[in-house]
Amino acid sequence: MSADFLYTLEVILNGLMAGVMYSLVALGFVLIFKASGIFNYAQGVMALFAAMTLVGLQSGQIPFAHLINAIFGTDLHHFGWQMPALLAIILTVGVMVLFAIIVEKYILHHLVNQEPIILFMATIGLAYFMEGFGDIMWGSEIKTMDVGIPSGGSFWLEEVTMTWAAEGERYWGMYIDKLDVVATLVALVLVISLTLFSQYTKTGRALRAVADDHQAALSVGISLRTIWVIVWSIAGFVALVAGIMWGSKSGVQFSLSLIALKALPVLMLGGFTSIPGAIIGGLIIGVGEKLFEFAIGSVYLGGATENWFAYVLALVFLVFRPQGLFGEKIIERV
Amino acid sequence: MFYRESGDFKKTYQEDGQTFPIRFDRWRYWVILAIAFLVFPFFMNDYFANAVMIPFLVWAIAALGLNILTGYCGQLSLGTGGFMAVGAYATYKIMTAFPGMDMFSVIILSGFVTAGVGVLFGLPSLRIKGFYLAVATLAAQFFLIWLFNKVPWFYNNSASGQINAPERDIFGIVITGPHATPLATYLFCLIVAVALAWVARNLTRGRLGRSWMAIRDMDIAAEIIGVNPLKAKLSAFAVSSFFVGVAGSLLFSVYLGAAEVTDTFGINVSFMVLFMIIIGGLGSIFGSFVGAAFMVLMPVLLKNILVGGLGWPTDLAAHLEYIIVGGLIIIFLIVEPHGLAQMARVLKEKLRLWPFPH
Amino acid sequence: MSTQNNGQNDKKVMLDLKNISLSFGGVKAITDISFNIYEGEVRAIIGPNGAGKSSMLNVINGFYHPQEGEIWFNGEQRKGMKPYEIAYQGIARTFQNIALFKGMSVLDNLMTGRFTHMNKNLFYQAMWKGPAEQEEIANREFVEHIIDFLEIQSIRKTPVGRLPYGLQKRVELGRALAAQPKLLLLDEPMAGMNVEEKEDMCRFILDVNDTFGTTIALIEHDMGVVMDISDRVVVLDYGRKIGDGEPNEVRNDQTVIDAYLGVSH
Repeated sequence: MSADFLYTLEVILNGLMAGVMYSLVALGFVLIFKASGIFNYAQGVMALFAAMTLVGLQSGQIPFAHLINAIFGTDLHHFGWQMPALLAIILTVGVMVLFAIIVEKYILHHLVNQEPIILFMATIGLAYFMEGFGDIMWGSEIKTMDVGIPSGGSFWLEEVTMTWAAEGERYWGMYIDKLDVVATLVALVLVISLTLFSQYTKTGRALRAVADDHQAALSVGISLRTIWVIVWSIAGFVALVAGIMWGSKSGVQFSLSLIALKALPVLMLGGFTSIPGAIIGGLIIGVGEKLFEFAIGSVYLGGATENWFAYVLALVFLVFRPQGLFGEKIIERV
Repeated sequence: MFYRESGDFKKTYQEDGQTFPIRFDRWRYWVILAIAFLVFPFFMNDYFANAVMIPFLVWAIAALGLNILTGYCGQLSLGTGGFMAVGAYATYKIMTAFPGMDMFSVIILSGFVTAGVGVLFGLPSLRIKGFYLAVATLAAQFFLIWLFNKVPWFYNNSASGQINAPERDIFGIVITGPHATPLATYLFCLIVAVALAWVARNLTRGRLGRSWMAIRDMDIAAEIIGVNPLKAKLSAFAVSSFFVGVAGSLLFSVYLGAAEVTDTFGINVSFMVLFMIIIGGLGSIFGSFVGAAFMVLMPVLLKNILVGGLGWPTDLAAHLEYIIVGGLIIIFLIVEPHGLAQMARVLKEKLRLWPFPH
Repeated sequence: MSTQNNGQNDKKVMLDLKNISLSFGGVKAITDISFNIYEGEVRAIIGPNGAGKSSMLNVINGFYHPQEGEIWFNGEQRKGMKPYEIAYQGIARTFQNIALFKGMSVLDNLMTGRFTHMNKNLFYQAMWKGPAEQEEIANREFVEHIIDFLEIQSIRKTPVGRLPYGLQKRVELGRALAAQPKLLLLDEPMAGMNVEEKEDMCRFILDVNDTFGTTIALIEHDMGVVMDISDRVVVLDYGRKIGDGEPNEVRNDQTVIDAYLGVSH
């Protein structure tokens, strides 16, 4: 195999891995959109917040220490313990459930029957709120996350792939982050368990009923409020998983919520209501932007095309197929 | 009597259609204008101009622009920052290419350039609706920022990648550059803002404005009554981008004097302008000003109280600002989706009937 | 061919639909329907739910494009026109579910109806004083006639969202009338109204027909109303035409009775 081919292959594989990350965030969007018709802009910030909480708990940070110090002139920062990763994760899930309950009670409950665009803007407000809140609670400095997921390249893979290169060509082997492989496996498990959950449990059936028709679901005795809390909790859990993966990869920092913005074009491609759509859309965007940068962006356009490629791709795509890859065709009625 | 319509007879349709149907409101409007033009200039100092009045006027113009698109025509845009960047870079290119041109012409030309770009990115709005369009406008935002960052022609190959406003004047009065006085820049921004607000009011009260609102409220019915959706949406994009472009132009040339595209016109700018119109009121000219005032004044106040008064660190004040803005957005959407302007309207209605509300 | 005689009288055909078929994917909404509308008449379209009545109106005002068939309006064949172009030709309509502009006042809704009669460009509008204002005032005068006609003076400046259902229907009729249409399509103008409101609406429809000479095509379920105010009736069922003629003929037609009317009344 020629080195060029191997390089391209490497780019595609890395693109797929990046795509999995996008898909993880997009998944949270789809869950909430299906159940409540809300386009939850705050999903990315939820991932950031979950990751911050996890790191904070693990390292024994005192919440709101900065604020308390400013008011009382104290000098608090840590409780002085190290929490095991698993316990911290369980506690963070608890925090996200609490968050879901608060969101339902104080926001969604008051915005029932509003236009989707109003709900969308409300979630932008929520995103801002959480961003400030997370920063005040845990501090805004970049944190490293370590929950014991292996990371770094695999020497084994590099050695194996090195031998694939054609005779006389220089190829140093394929670099694939172990973390990405783990993320892919986790995403796979997550999607399968979500699908099983929605297909085979009573709550899952209720979820699908609500997704189909709110009023009809209400009329057969499904509590919309409970369902929303459950959905937002699940979305919070998905956000946590995404937060752990992104956080382990590039540190817990604000840019995490910007990366999550890319889940939006992923949804444009995959459609807002389809879980497989979110996965495939994520993969297309991941591979697409890496390939574009590799083949065109860095060569002819001065690089950094990853900043906009996903959005422009989604825009062009939407013009020709407004309902996304897997969405149903929209027939307008008068 | 105070604040009454009775006795103030409208004898022509012209009188009936005026902006402020109540005499008190008409007076108040002229008084505010008089204060802005005749009283404020005497108190104008560097801090008042640069921390309060000029940012307020510039952001008010941007908010007016977005309000035309989102509030009147119902097309949500998250690309405001990118379009402001177009205005700013157009200004820079025009200023450096034609050193003799006066500032009015420069900003108006920049507005037209932005309008053209806006129409281009508005084309997909024919097929894409609602938040699909909002995400599509993100494409404009990120692409434009990248473009101004990567193509050296836009910043005349300057080593820092920054653009700096050279000194320009109108009738001999320096408006841009380090020698401009706060008074001159303030009056310049004020004139532009008032003129554009007047144009916005005229456009939204007439045939074009009604076609925008018709598209916003019920696009199918609008089309069947004769409104061409293509024309209505693109004209909204064009007019809106013109305003936003002028705001970007003023922000760069008059207010900041220098700009770096990712810092000055990033995605946060798009959200900030959106928040202005949500808080001020969607579909309201007055609301655009109120929202801009709010978003400009709140951080200044917060900083003065928390940092200046209580001695808190600045980053804490900044985080608190996020919490307050985000929280307010949610509260407004829950309590009054039409913003402060609607609250004012309700208050007026009550005042009109006071003291006998039934 | 601008005029076609139906044999019985010498009326001019305004709208002629020939062998219209319309389907969505695999579902046939309209199958091979032909009928015409004379200038100046009140033409009713009746039939059970799902018979294709609303689809028929949507075809007439260009929202749907039939796969087969020809549409002739005022002697010209129409091809692939957009709804707003059809509005300029002089066809206006109301909707089954009220489609008013909820964020605007009654006056603004009616003024929007004047859209096709206004043409001052963006520059004049931005200046307001001068041509744009004159145009606005001239059209405002016309709209005031409609307001007087429909007796809605008192709610002129009320946002339409606040009005009760019956008044909203009336405002919607007003918006269509403001366009001074040659052909007015009414989709269930009396649905959900009480007897009094229905009587008012009937009066308005007949008055419009008399005073402005507007041709009217309406869909209505209330047979009493249909038989009273319409000149001719076309009956649809399952997307096909099963009857066409004057109210009396239709009422006694056995197929129509079986499909829709039930017992003759």
